[in-house]
Amino acid sequence: MLRNTLRSGLATLAILAAAPAVMAQDLTIGLRAGPDSIDPHWSTLGSQAEALRHVFDTLVDVDDKLQLKPGLAVSWEAIDDTTWEFKMREGVKFHDGSDFDAEDVKFSIERIPEVTGPMPMTLYTKYVDSVEVIDPTTLRIKTKGMAPSLPNDFTRLFVVPTETGKDVGNEEFNSGEKAIGTGPYTFVSWQPKGDLVLERFDGYWGGAPAWEKVTRKEIPDDAARVAALKSGQVDLINYVPATDYLSMKGDNNLETFVSDSVYILNIAPSVKDEEPQPIKVNGKEVEGNPLQDLRVRKALDLAINRDVLVNVVLEGLGKPATQLMPEGFFGYTDKLGKREYDIEQAKKLLAEAGYPDGFEIDFTCTNNRVPGDAVVCEALAQMWSRLGLTVNAQALNGTVYFPAAAREEFTMTMSAWGTLTGEAAYTYGALTHTKDAEKGFGNFNRSGYSNPEFDRVFGEGSQTLDPDARRALYEEASFIAMEDRALIPTVILQTVWAAKSGVLDMNPRVDQETRAYEITPE
Amino acid sequence: MFGYLVARLSQAVVVVFAMSVIVFVGVYAIGNPIDVMIDPGATQEIRENLIRQYGLDQPLWRQYFTFVGNVFQGDLGRSMVYNISVTSLVFSRLPATLELVLVSVTIAACIGIPAGLYAGYRPNSIGAKLIMALSVLGFSVPTFWIGMLLIMAFAVELGWLPSGGRGEVAEFLWFKTSLATSNGWSHIIMPAVNLSLFKMGLLIRLTRAGMVEAMGAEYVRFARAQGLPDRQIVFSHILRNISIPVVTVFGLELGSTLAFAVVTETVFNWPGVGKLIIDSILQLDRPVMVSYLVMVVILFVLINLIVDLIYARLDPRVRLKGGS
Repeated sequence: MLRNTLRSGLATLAILAAAPAVMAQDLTIGLRAGPDSIDPHWSTLGSQAEALRHVFDTLVDVDDKLQLKPGLAVSWEAIDDTTWEFKMREGVKFHDGSDFDAEDVKFSIERIPEVTGPMPMTLYTKYVDSVEVIDPTTLRIKTKGMAPSLPNDFTRLFVVPTETGKDVGNEEFNSGEKAIGTGPYTFVSWQPKGDLVLERFDGYWGGAPAWEKVTRKEIPDDAARVAALKSGQVDLINYVPATDYLSMKGDNNLETFVSDSVYILNIAPSVKDEEPQPIKVNGKEVEGNPLQDLRVRKALDLAINRDVLVNVVLEGLGKPATQLMPEGFFGYTDKLGKREYDIEQAKKLLAEAGYPDGFEIDFTCTNNRVPGDAVVCEALAQMWSRLGLTVNAQALNGTVYFPAAAREEFTMTMSAWGTLTGEAAYTYGALTHTKDAEKGFGNFNRSGYSNPEFDRVFGEGSQTLDPDARRALYEEASFIAMEDRALIPTVILQTVWAAKSGVLDMNPRVDQETRAYEITPE
Repeated sequence: MFGYLVARLSQAVVVVFAMSVIVFVGVYAIGNPIDVMIDPGATQEIRENLIRQYGLDQPLWRQYFTFVGNVFQGDLGRSMVYNISVTSLVFSRLPATLELVLVSVTIAACIGIPAGLYAGYRPNSIGAKLIMALSVLGFSVPTFWIGMLLIMAFAVELGWLPSGGRGEVAEFLWFKTSLATSNGWSHIIMPAVNLSLFKMGLLIRLTRAGMVEAMGAEYVRFARAQGLPDRQIVFSHILRNISIPVVTVFGLELGSTLAFAVVTETVFNWPGVGKLIIDSILQLDRPVMVSYLVMVVILFVLINLIVDLIYARLDPRVRLKGGS
């Protein structure tokens, strides 16, 4: 009896081990993070949007370089300064068989403020004043003031059917009852931190995706995720750690995919009249704030050897950054050129500014938000010590860092910023614009940076509807802020996916999303 | 006996109360959860609305009493991250932790206690020395490292067992558990062994120490003089005498494993409560943190209570009195 049980147990194990080869139409992905809820209007979390895109479609979609492309809306245009018109895709069906039309979009926009949580989706509807359905395929949005970036905001506008109702919350979505979208996959099951199981939707407007069943397993621990791939439990993993990447490159059983990310590690020097943590020379606090002097900020910049950061510190998984966004993003300026390492010039500038023997400064970073933040932090401190500075570097857990950074308690910080929308307004508006609660700018400007020239050019851009004219203005604004060293960009982080050889083919995305419907069997 | 129970339970209430204050003040001191969670693109206005919506603009004491008031109405609050009630969140993950802990303490006890008895019975044999050497490894080598080694050996190299996660669940009696399927067992065996090593080492050493001491005690010599067989002396006399410290440590370990099996859960991607609480701490999800820790305190108090009851059963000299 016992022997038989054991035998059947072993047989099951053997079948399990062989299973992936049999079911070629199934894709199992090991991901670092998953959704917090199946309600697409609950949270702006990136991993949430990534997962829910399989079930729900957004009004506007983005390509692998984060530039806009049609989603449920086939086209859009500004018909006057405060009105956008969106044309809906025809013949789109929800998973329950009902038809999609403009009413569903209106409903979705209006549902957001009712149900959204502490990572509020209202962020993406903040410019919406009123929504008007002209006919089933035409939607007009009246905006509060001019809103050139509305289509960008709508890349996160997930559409649910009108029948959903405004009073249903996460429970109904998590159970699958209300998890009805127009996306390429239908929802099967999910639990917080557990697996998200999806099934192909044959009636998808974009053509049914290649994989029949997709399981998105949440495996937050890096080593566990790598082990799951190596042992064959999953077909594909994201966020391969740098150390494993090197060994995987030499492994014939595995394939790797590398992509730039939207994340750039930026240094933020406080330029307030009085720096939050004192800067000292010979143990005595200096008069005024040395960081207000552009020469000092330039010296800090010149003393950074970005090639060393990329090749040595990040083990090749990065690129030197010249500005706050990667190339190809809306508002990226190509006038800046590569940032050179020149320690002699840096020392000269520092001496001219009145600090020939350097100074002592506190430098605070995150240590768990993105791969490499803590090591880059230490490396920067060492690079600046060659300049003659005494740097008290401290890498903090994000849980401690962010609230303290929000209280503006640090003199100089480094953290990652990702241009999640693919355009300059998001990044420069939040980081380098003068703090202005009324206009909603400078929310993350913790350094006190304020440049009227920048504000003017950027402000003009934000009030320009013509895309080409706006792009030119944003490029100029980027150039001004970067030349002024409002923030000092260091490196663009790169991320790695790894898969079993011969199973699949994928084109890695700059936003790091792993979209099962864009992955094809090999 | 009844007085004793009442006294112990009222102690528990005080501990739970103190704990909730500490956690509340601690989280308050770290900072505003909204600043950790909020999307970088949010405007100042959105941020302030949220802070008001979650009552975080209220003074600390008022936030605390609102929480306490809700608890008395049976509402532990809703997770700020998942927006589902904390109770259902914790209970959705508790079964996974329970079964993992159950299997691992069973392994630890079934191997640890006999091995310790043997090592104490024949302290100079090679077997005993081997057991003692291994027990040192058991609690000095870090768990996550052994976990990684197990995964490398059995999942990656040999391919016998899955590298992580929980297996299929099936209905067993009234529970849904992965222990009812062979697939479930193939998933649980590695993490359970990994989790049991530390406890096993501890049990071996405790049992052995008690055994060695008891072997020289008068009652054992007397029993031997009476001509009782060794088997009877060990199992019915010595084992009973040395169980008190073993039960104490076992109880404490059971509690801490239930509450904080997080390392093993992380390495093996086991969907238990340990990982949930660590994530909640990282995101400052205060309702989950406070409620979970309160549950942990209650758990410890209950386990200690059961341990005390077992004492009374094992040792007739122990009397349970109210207020003691």
